[in-house]
Amino acid sequence: MTGRHEKGVMSMETAASASHTTTGEAGRKLELYFGPQHLGMVGNFSITLEVEGDRIRKATANPGYLHRGFEKLMEYRTWIQNFPLVCRVNVVEPDSMEMIYAMGVEKLAGIEVPERAHFVRSIYLELARVGSHLFGLWAYANMLGFDTVAQWAMYHRDLVLDLFEELTGGRVYHIYIWPGGVRRDFPKGFKDKIVSTLHSIGGCVPDYDTAFFNNRLFYDRSAGIGTVGCEEAKRMGATGQTLRATGVDFDIRKVDPYAAYDRVDWDVPTREDGDAYSRIWVVRDEMIESVHMIFKLLEAMPDGEVYHRIPNPFKWDIPKGEAYVRCESSRGELGLYLVSDGGDKPHRVHFRTPSYTNGLVILEKMLEGASIADVGNIMISLYVVAPEIDR
Amino acid sequence: MDRNQISKWLKAPAKMAHKYSLHAVYFCTGCGIIEIPPVITARWDAERFGVIPVATPRQGNLFMITGYVSVKTLKAIIRTYEQMPDPKYTVGFGSCPINGGMYWDSYNTAKHVDKYIPIDGWIAGCMPRPEAVFIGVTHLWTLIDKGMANGYARYRKNYAQYRRNQEMLFGELGWPPLYPIEDGAPGGDE
Amino acid sequence: MSGALKKGIEATFRDARVETPGDGRVTVFVPAESVPAVVHYLKERGFDHLTMVSCVDRPDDGELEVVYILSSYTNDPRLHVIVKARVPREGGGLGTVIGVFPNAEPYEREIHELFGANFEGHGRLIPLFLEREYAIPPFRKDFDSRKYVEETFDSIPAVQDE
Repeated sequence: MTGRHEKGVMSMETAASASHTTTGEAGRKLELYFGPQHLGMVGNFSITLEVEGDRIRKATANPGYLHRGFEKLMEYRTWIQNFPLVCRVNVVEPDSMEMIYAMGVEKLAGIEVPERAHFVRSIYLELARVGSHLFGLWAYANMLGFDTVAQWAMYHRDLVLDLFEELTGGRVYHIYIWPGGVRRDFPKGFKDKIVSTLHSIGGCVPDYDTAFFNNRLFYDRSAGIGTVGCEEAKRMGATGQTLRATGVDFDIRKVDPYAAYDRVDWDVPTREDGDAYSRIWVVRDEMIESVHMIFKLLEAMPDGEVYHRIPNPFKWDIPKGEAYVRCESSRGELGLYLVSDGGDKPHRVHFRTPSYTNGLVILEKMLEGASIADVGNIMISLYVVAPEIDR
Repeated sequence: MDRNQISKWLKAPAKMAHKYSLHAVYFCTGCGIIEIPPVITARWDAERFGVIPVATPRQGNLFMITGYVSVKTLKAIIRTYEQMPDPKYTVGFGSCPINGGMYWDSYNTAKHVDKYIPIDGWIAGCMPRPEAVFIGVTHLWTLIDKGMANGYARYRKNYAQYRRNQEMLFGELGWPPLYPIEDGAPGGDE
Repeated sequence: MSGALKKGIEATFRDARVETPGDGRVTVFVPAESVPAVVHYLKERGFDHLTMVSCVDRPDDGELEVVYILSSYTNDPRLHVIVKARVPREGGGLGTVIGVFPNAEPYEREIHELFGANFEGHGRLIPLFLEREYAIPPFRKDFDSRKYVEETFDSIPAVQDE
């Protein structure tokens, strides 16, 4: 029976050496494992905690449970065969992976994308951002015990997945972005469907605010937890909401625009305090900003084709060169370093994923001195998505 | 409930209770985990099928291996599976546990998971839809009814082979055998 | 901006070669010993965001190419500086940059594990993802993943139910 319990308290699997001393100072120290099989662990990741009493002395992230050697697998497949593979790097928001790989291939091969395709890509990516943030909200609300809000968030995410299913045929893995544009145009009536779905989600924002975001309990649980200052965040390579919650408005969509992000007017939400409370508020504001941005993009979208033909994809050699492209995924700066040696397969593919720094560098630092009950809280507020770390 | 069920409940109450209360161990093994939150929350609602997630393997009797299994995860899966009390059922979710799926040529994923632990049923797809999960659950009910969902019994019976396969992959295992491996007589203390 | 940067780097580091392909990239080729100094120099010039540390296997030259991609939070973020250094495939190594950028730590660990390059002064070059020993580091070109799968996984027999 699970009942209601603090998801932060974990099963006591003690290390053999630590459990044999039970007296004095050494007797208070334990080595605990948060994950991989843990009710509070979203994604297959593990953190080894050296704990004294209720306080964590040292945290060691233990990735590798999801390592598939993606980048090696991509070297065996041709450029176009990699598209179904690349979206599986991050399962929560596969669309930004497709986008970044398509951007890299287009840059290396010198392919232009039609204007309408830029708008379609931006709408698609913003819908993915909304879906991904709702998933993060499910995880975070569950972590704190707000089960009702978690159910709402997952339900609304499912409405967004219905839109994806109509557009691309798949709920989770879409394979919609293609080098040269997108795979197909919006079906008839799709624009109205997007608008009505987003209105029904947006209409629930007051409920979310009352139940969760303005809730005193959320504030008590997350204010001051996992605080990182502005300079420290920059020093540790933070991007995304970890950095924007400290007051820096660094968003790749603004500073290095791609797709149609510079054709519409929008703001980058930031907060000041840098703690878990601020990060989740940034997530909320980003979701609302994304919804407004989708409406504006739908208004401004020109007509035209959505696809420029590429050469025969099965016999496609891309000239020698390298490219570093970046985009703003829902967790931060997502980058791709792509090297071609003139053949029909990539020579080297390396994803720069935001959860890598968040989960391996920043998480270990922030867990020092934290209480055991806040481990999941801090981890999810940093939005550490495990498959991105391991690839 | 309809009258057909009453006779079934009277004849085999334990079997009916197993079927309608499959408690799934919450272990996000691979990318299939993205379709589990929709399945267990309000829209698709697995609880009307009796499936709810539980915190520890000691409390669960359904193990869904959601997605691909890396070598490091396989160790954790075997340890979790061995902690679950009998009778327990395993379902391979997605095409990766079946034959490696998308990552068939990866050096770090175990291709056929049923060489290492017994699997009772498979749900194909990449990603399977939530409806496919429920069809898988109802098929598992049929198998339990017919007595064919006996993965745990096969594990006990053929434990020497499973243990040998696990040792071929991992080398020295850090935990003792679950059942004693005598010549052909695996006694049990469960 | 990239012109001034190029002059500055070439003046300070005699053995560096700078190229400016013009699409927001400045590529700096340095020998392996100068990498920590060049990275420190660039940080002081405002490139305070170490985006990633990558490695490319160049089997034809017998070398590994370690790549550092730097950008800036505050200056024009569209300008990237890509610092490249070559080390020999066998026994090659270079100094760590975690004194300048703490977030290089997992990247260097990963490159050590998957390619075999050494980083002096790192202190924690333990495996990050992998648990097993591989004869050749897995991301090198001469490691055949498909052959490894056949030998390791396909050779394990299925369980026969007696």
